[in-house]
Parts: sequence; C-alpha cells; structure tokens
Amino acid sequence: MPESMGRSAGIFAIACVCGIASGMFGIGGGVLLVPLLGLLFGFSQHRAQGTSLVALIPPTGVLALMAYAKEGFVSWRTGLLLIPGVFLGGIAGGILAKKINPRKMRQVFAGILVLLGVWQMLDAWWR
Amino acid sequence: MTFIILLLGLGVGVLVGLLGIGGGVVLVPAMVYFLHLDQHLAQGTSLFILLPPIGLGALREYWKQGQVDWHAGILCALGMLFGAYAGSLIALPIPSRNLQGLFGCFLLLAGFLLWRKTQIDTSAPGSGQENVRA
Repeated sequence: MPESMGRSAGIFAIACVCGIASGMFGIGGGVLLVPLLGLLFGFSQHRAQGTSLVALIPPTGVLALMAYAKEGFVSWRTGLLLIPGVFLGGIAGGILAKKINPRKMRQVFAGILVLLGVWQMLDAWWR
Repeated sequence: MTFIILLLGLGVGVLVGLLGIGGGVVLVPAMVYFLHLDQHLAQGTSLFILLPPIGLGALREYWKQGQVDWHAGILCALGMLFGAYAGSLIALPIPSRNLQGLFGCFLLLAGFLLWRKTQIDTSAPGSGQENVRA
C-alpha cells in the first residue's frame, strides 16, 4: 500500500512538471508525459500513450488559457478552424498506431522534434 | 488560407492518435511558420485548441485494447491543471523571441526523452507488461 501511494505521488509530481511545460509552451504536455511514464514508471509505450490521452481529455489547460486570453494572446478563429481536423485525424491516428511499427515511428518523431527544436532556437537567438 | 488551416488540423490530428500526445508541440511551430502567428499568440491558440476533448476518438481506440491506466491518467490530469496555470504565469512576461528559443530547448529535451525510451525498449524487450509487437 505505501508503495502504491508513493507511485501515485510520483506520478502526480511528474504531471505537475508536465503541466508547467504545458502552460509555458502552450502544449498538451503529452509529449513529455508519455516518455516520462515509460522511463520512470515502467509503462509500456501503448499504455503510456493511452494514459496520456486520459490526462488530455479534461480541459487541464483552462486556467492557462484564461491567463493567455487576458493578455489577448489567443486567435479564436484559427483555433476553431483547427479543431475539427485534429479530432478526425486523432481517430485515424489511433487506428494507424495499431498497424505500423511503433518503435520506428517514435524514432522518426523524436528526430523531427530535435530538428524542430534546433530550428526554433536558431531562429530565435542566432539572427 | 482557411483550407490550409483545416488541412493542418487533420495532419496534426493523425499525430495525436499515433503518439498519444496533445498535438500542441507540433501545432505551435506550425502556426508560427505557416500561419505567421507570434509565439505567444500561437501558444495561446494552441491551448484553446486543446480545450475540447480532441483526443477522445483516439482514446477510445486505446481503451478497446485495454491500454489505459485510468488511475494514473486522472492523477496526471489533476497535476497538469495546476502545473499549466503556473507555467502560463512564467511564460507571459517572457519576450516572444526568448520564449521561442526556450520552446526550441524544450523540443530538444522531449525529442531526447522519446529517443531514450525507444532505446530502452530494445535493450529490455520483455521487461514491460507489453511485449507483443507487430
């Protein structure tokens, strides 16, 4: 029992860290939550992804969104146009995830993230 | 322009389902580069997109396979609710340029962690609950 309490507390603490990243960078936080659940708590990849999706269902970003909206940092029209596509695409992706090699896919995605990251840093600080 | 935005949403959605992520990590740079939004504006808009349960369809697919830990998921949702508010208070006063650079650093870290996870999967294939692989 104390062991599972510790695990729960650990998961909660990690989620807080992911939440801070979520509010700071305007993201869902799943991109950090998925590998951390796997690396620290031994979740299999599919289980980590499914669990991360649970965490993304309630509007966890609502407090952060309100803070951005107060400063005028929300483009409501662009957001409304993006929502239907993301929803439909999500279903397609969920089905696809069962069919293709998940390891290869994640390695490609990790590579893309690193490239995007370097690009953003250069764009911001090098000019 | 409207068409491009709709298409962009669809592409990001596929990644949401494939990787079990919110999609913001791809949405933010996409909005900055393709739609020319400012970094803060892109982040705020991304938070707005993530508000409705866009991952619900994807979650259903995982749930049917028994790949969901509800207990952990609910704990994570709670932690992220408060964490996200704290994060937004940190981000808002940062100049857009520096925020974009920090976003880049964050992507590097996330990419590194994802990569490490795939390495561990190869070195210890039977250690997790799941070792069925197509």
